[in-house]
Amino acid sequence: MDFFVQIIVSGLTFGSMYALAAVGLALVWGAFNMLNMSHGIIMTLGAYFALLWAELLGWPLILAAPFSLVCGGLVGAIVYFLSAHWMIKQKNFEVTIIIATFGLGMAIESGLLKFLREMFRTAPYSQPLSLGAKSFLIFDVPVSYQRLVIWTAAFVLITIVGIFLRRTSVGRAIRATAQDRNAARLMGVPVRRVYVLVLAIASGLAAVSGIMLSSFKDVHPLMGGDPMLKAFIVIVLAGLGNITGALYAALLVGLVEASVKVLLADKYGFTAILILVILALIWKPSGIFGRATVARQ
Amino acid sequence: MSNGDTQPLLACRNVFKYFGGLAAVNDFDLDVYSGDVIGIGGPNGAGKTTFLDVISGINPATSGEILLDGIPIANKKADVICHLGISRTFQLNAGFESMSIRENTLVGASFGRGDKGWFPRMIYSKEMHERVERALELCHLQDRAELIVRDLPVLDRKLLLMAGALATEPKLLLIDEPVGGLNPHEVDDVMEIVQGLIAEGVTIILIEHVMRFLLQLSERVVIMHHGEKIYEGDSKGLLSDRKVVEVYLGEGTADRLQHMMAERA
Amino acid sequence: MKRRDYIIFAVLLGLAIAYPWINPPRYLLASVLLMFCYATVVSQWNLVFGLAGIFSLGQVAIFASGSYITAILGRYLEWSLWYTFPVAGVGGVFFSLLIGLACLRLRGIYVALLTLAVSQMMFILIQTDAMCSALNKKVNPATCVSFTGGAQGLGDFGSFGWRDVFGGRNWIIGDYYTMLVLLVIALIFTFIVTNSRIGLAFMALRDNEELARSRGISQFKYQLLVFAMSAFLTAVAGSFYAAHFGSVGTDLMGFALLLFLISMLVVGGIGRPWGPLLGAFLLMAADEVFKEASDWRNVGLGIVVLIFMVFLPEGLAGALDKLWNRGIQLVTGRLQSGGTRADGE
Repeated sequence: MDFFVQIIVSGLTFGSMYALAAVGLALVWGAFNMLNMSHGIIMTLGAYFALLWAELLGWPLILAAPFSLVCGGLVGAIVYFLSAHWMIKQKNFEVTIIIATFGLGMAIESGLLKFLREMFRTAPYSQPLSLGAKSFLIFDVPVSYQRLVIWTAAFVLITIVGIFLRRTSVGRAIRATAQDRNAARLMGVPVRRVYVLVLAIASGLAAVSGIMLSSFKDVHPLMGGDPMLKAFIVIVLAGLGNITGALYAALLVGLVEASVKVLLADKYGFTAILILVILALIWKPSGIFGRATVARQ
Repeated sequence: MSNGDTQPLLACRNVFKYFGGLAAVNDFDLDVYSGDVIGIGGPNGAGKTTFLDVISGINPATSGEILLDGIPIANKKADVICHLGISRTFQLNAGFESMSIRENTLVGASFGRGDKGWFPRMIYSKEMHERVERALELCHLQDRAELIVRDLPVLDRKLLLMAGALATEPKLLLIDEPVGGLNPHEVDDVMEIVQGLIAEGVTIILIEHVMRFLLQLSERVVIMHHGEKIYEGDSKGLLSDRKVVEVYLGEGTADRLQHMMAERA
Repeated sequence: MKRRDYIIFAVLLGLAIAYPWINPPRYLLASVLLMFCYATVVSQWNLVFGLAGIFSLGQVAIFASGSYITAILGRYLEWSLWYTFPVAGVGGVFFSLLIGLACLRLRGIYVALLTLAVSQMMFILIQTDAMCSALNKKVNPATCVSFTGGAQGLGDFGSFGWRDVFGGRNWIIGDYYTMLVLLVIALIFTFIVTNSRIGLAFMALRDNEELARSRGISQFKYQLLVFAMSAFLTAVAGSFYAAHFGSVGTDLMGFALLLFLISMLVVGGIGRPWGPLLGAFLLMAADEVFKEASDWRNVGLGIVVLIFMVFLPEGLAGALDKLWNRGIQLVTGRLQSGGTRADGE
């Protein structure tokens, strides 16, 4: 029973964080077939924005996360105007954008490292938004309040995004673009603005996800790499561009990772989900939650 | 010519192709004999191109039997079907964009007749180059052979596809809308080329919307509608067939075509 | 391939052969020979990516597998490294065939994702391998080293052996020429494949898969072929790399090397015959320059890649080709009817 609760608690936490990071990736792929390889560094920056707000400026803690969300969104828009904006007409956009954002992400990451080394220290900072180890018990398993906050925050944010996509006219424009870019353009949707907006939303969510990650593992310039890969795994499992599927897949990845970590060993967690995604790509490339109509091309 | 005694070159029996619940090709039968020229017409979405996709293995049939020289090919892959002797063109202006016309044709000449072994030959044979020259000549492309495909006008792209298909020296050539989007003058050019092929004795299945082209070239016409065959016979009968006129041609077009045929006769 | 290209090839080869005789600083010699190694890998990558149009990121994993095969055979079986090279090559081919089989049904971006997952997997499996291996007790009883060396990497497996031939200081010249021979073989191999009938099939599948299949080209056969053909020299380059440095580590499968090599491909020009060489030269040169400001190295490289992808997606070779053609047009004063070719000859 203990194991079981432990797996659920830990899996839900990982799952919530991956979901926040992955929903954005799925949204961006859906809108204009861009896989953003600088997503990871944006997660890292999100954690640093919270740090900057709370530690350096000493402003109220409660607003650190919204601040980070907004800054993350701005970074996303900047990434768009530095890369995709000029490249979207290229013949192999899907491929070239990966390489371009890969380069951009590396430049930002190394720049951040350099900057921190010069001005501050690169050693990990603890996340000011972390609530520490204070916890309550479920079936004798301690569950920290931190996890509770993460579940709630992830749930609320994703619900807001969902309502935004379904109920507002801007959201409808985004969904229209995702379904058929050219038709949307012909119907008067300003697709370029949709692209920026989508990337900004995705990056804002990634920034918040970064804060959550750092609340367990401290803030460090290289912290975004692994979670980004896992977010990619999530959207591949879900079938690229399938947003609802990405939520389920995120929970699945979180639970699989948690089970392997609890039942086998910590180090096999990543291996397990890599095997999962490799098998999924071989047997069902359209995603395990994908509909048959999702094209492999 | 249709001849009851001999085995048909291509025999299609009860061929179905479903996309989801929609039957794009519905219980289709067709016999093609060596030397035949068969024209397939019908409204957009009637399943003509899907039918070619099924025969050529690009998009295999859901059920039904397709025999080429008595060999079942319904479940074979496109490349194998090509080796067995069916070659096709595409409606869209397809082509190997970065290659020259000669290289495009060379692909057909060099792989279309078969490609044995796990490590295929690296060097072209003399016959391959000869097939290329012959196909280019049949399609009147010799003088433009070195041009790169991405720079070509529509007419040349259509001819290029035909040359590539001919270079495989097929038993059966499937031509999908060879004159769509061309002006009347260009249509005449293509017509002349196809007539040349017919004179060479090539067996052809032809899809075309331009009825004057279809009627003048084909000995036998098939009209498809909602995936089904609603007419098969000669062109005269076609123009007086109630159903064809109703669902496809319309009274005006039928009259005009009848005049045209009468003038030619 | 025009006469121009043969002349360029001859001149470059002459320069490369002559280079050690002008007594360059040792570190430069080492950089140039490393450039040969990378250019070999990138030229084979160009076959998969440029010629066949398959966006595989698995080449780095194949490179690493070559290194590890050499290291393991040399260390545990005490083979002369020269025997390990062909074994590494064949091992790389099998590994690549497996990757190719897994990718058969996938297209475009999905191939990249799968191959990336495979190389990450390899990275993590080796990185987390911490089980002390009995085989290593024989090499050095005092330490606990796992079979693959884990995160520390593996050493003590020998070298090309040029130290015995050329003496203690000049062994690097031996390494230099060995690597040069490999690169020349790789370039000639690439040239032959590109202009052969098989190369035509690769290009046909890249340009229009459906049309290629209906012209009798088996996608199955040729996709496996390109994975196999491009893997041999890649893996051998990996084992040469191991033999030169005398150690292997998980950084061979890391993102940094992947990005560095793909940058060479991109900056040089994907699908261009001279792309890999140009790219390798340019990025190694940039690397030397940025080394002065060591912290800025990755920032600089990242920005270079970004700028090339945004403004020159056809790479330097593509841009030079355009310039050259425009120059010819100006000289001869007439418009060329054909336009430039993206690839191939």
